[in-house]
Amino acid sequence: MHSGGRIGAGRAALWSLCVLLLIFLIAPIAVILVTSFNGTPYMDFPPKTLSLRWYANFFASAQWYQPALLSLRVGLVAAAGATLLGTTAAIGVVRGGMPGRRALEAFLISPMVVPVIVVALGFYFLFSDYHLLGTPAALYLGHTVIATPVVIVMVRAALRTTDPSMDLAARSLGANFWRALWHVTLPSIRASVFAAAAFAFLISFDEVVIAIFVGGPDATTLPKRMWETIRFEIDPTLTAISSLLTMVAVVVLVGAELARRPPRREET
Amino acid sequence: MVLVGKKFWRSHEGLLVLPALVFYALVYVAPLARIGRWSFFDPGFTLKFWREVLGEPTYYRALRNTLEISVLVTAIALLLGYPLAYLMATTVPRARRVLTVLLLVPFWTSILVRTFAWLVILGSNGLVNRTLLALGLADQPQKLLFNMVGVQVGMVHVLLPFMVFPLYGVMSRIDPNVVRVARSLGAPPRRAFLHVFLPLSFPGLGAGCVLVFLLAIGFYVTPALLGGPGQITLATMIDMQVSTFLDFGAAATLGILLLIVVGGIFAVFGGLLGLNRLAGASA
Repeated sequence: MHSGGRIGAGRAALWSLCVLLLIFLIAPIAVILVTSFNGTPYMDFPPKTLSLRWYANFFASAQWYQPALLSLRVGLVAAAGATLLGTTAAIGVVRGGMPGRRALEAFLISPMVVPVIVVALGFYFLFSDYHLLGTPAALYLGHTVIATPVVIVMVRAALRTTDPSMDLAARSLGANFWRALWHVTLPSIRASVFAAAAFAFLISFDEVVIAIFVGGPDATTLPKRMWETIRFEIDPTLTAISSLLTMVAVVVLVGAELARRPPRREET
Repeated sequence: MVLVGKKFWRSHEGLLVLPALVFYALVYVAPLARIGRWSFFDPGFTLKFWREVLGEPTYYRALRNTLEISVLVTAIALLLGYPLAYLMATTVPRARRVLTVLLLVPFWTSILVRTFAWLVILGSNGLVNRTLLALGLADQPQKLLFNMVGVQVGMVHVLLPFMVFPLYGVMSRIDPNVVRVARSLGAPPRRAFLHVFLPLSFPGLGAGCVLVFLLAIGFYVTPALLGGPGQITLATMIDMQVSTFLDFGAAATLGILLLIVVGGIFAVFGGLLGLNRLAGASA
């Protein structure tokens, strides 16, 4: 498309800069992934000998796999709660023409931009008043709040691409509001709802600040345990856990992308 | 208007929004209100925590550190993110997809994992220092952690996608023909870029900068793990007040201060943000 040496040179410079940037973006993940297969306890990069000992260490020690199981549980509960609240709210906001809709939407999405440390501090105060500090319930509730905005945003985006007249057609054929919702609206955004649920899970699964503030010794999630370990020492097991967490993220990302992309149709 | 409002809340759609609103009131507004109570009451109304926070240089320094870190992160993210977004917007679809995936994978990787990775890579015996020594670029390990360098590397890494996605969202809608017309009218590439493309990308630039700055202001994990005493921010200060000094009143007041700063930026520049646009790009 372009011709002439100058543009070519400029373009080449742009590409080189961007390749360097992408290396910067991917490097930490790649380095940790490779380091996690170290046979020695020194985190050599590249590893001199290969082993799976740090993965074995993770799956064998209760101080690691128990927090992982709690994280899984909290993630599933928060994803369920956020998907339910976020999907219904998104449908209501998009389909209902109400005054102050923008303000309402901004409020519903605001946990995305309010610093998580402030929200965590608030949870700390609130949950200590109700004696929920250090219980999984505190984590269920707190994580549901911060995972809901993503669901609202994604479902809202999906709803805007669907045709509301389908819904009206169902209504005019005699379906009541809830029937039309269940049989017409929801199926048309199903893939996006599943994708949103996956991202909601991931947000909770990786969340550390709220987990530090409200989770006590009896409610330690995997990120909280990682946090405590990192501050104390650099344990090579962390490289294995980090790699596993990254794989979870990639699986969620790919899964959500596949769910949302209609088969045999290229994205435009 | 009022009638329309009442109708909405009695409608099915209003019913659908209700559960989220009730949940937010109980588990989102209530905690924030608790912070307000801790900040202004002990047990009667008092301003002593505010006098403490506004009077002591330690807190002032934390605020200054926070702003300094955030401004620098935003500037670096813009400088690096603009070319990347530009390439994404102007390249062939296949390359664009690869670039998007390479951005999304770190974007969705746990911040804690990435911060830990930088601890390993930037350490005195880490990959960067060993490379510098091996290449003869340094004769002793450089201090890249627990200072501004570490914080900037870690935070730019986390926040760069938040700059790139809004920028790309706007740039991808700039009609390439506009630039082509400028070129065909005799404008050299640089002039066509500076006078045509760049101004058209301003909305994305504004949105990206506001978003990155907003997120940087409240950042906790990265400054806490990669920063040193010179990088104590409002966020790390809040944690210190709670876990070390047990000064809940001061912690709450710092929390409100942080909310005021974030809210103020949002009120002034929120219009630039276009959360709708953003959502479409990142999700």
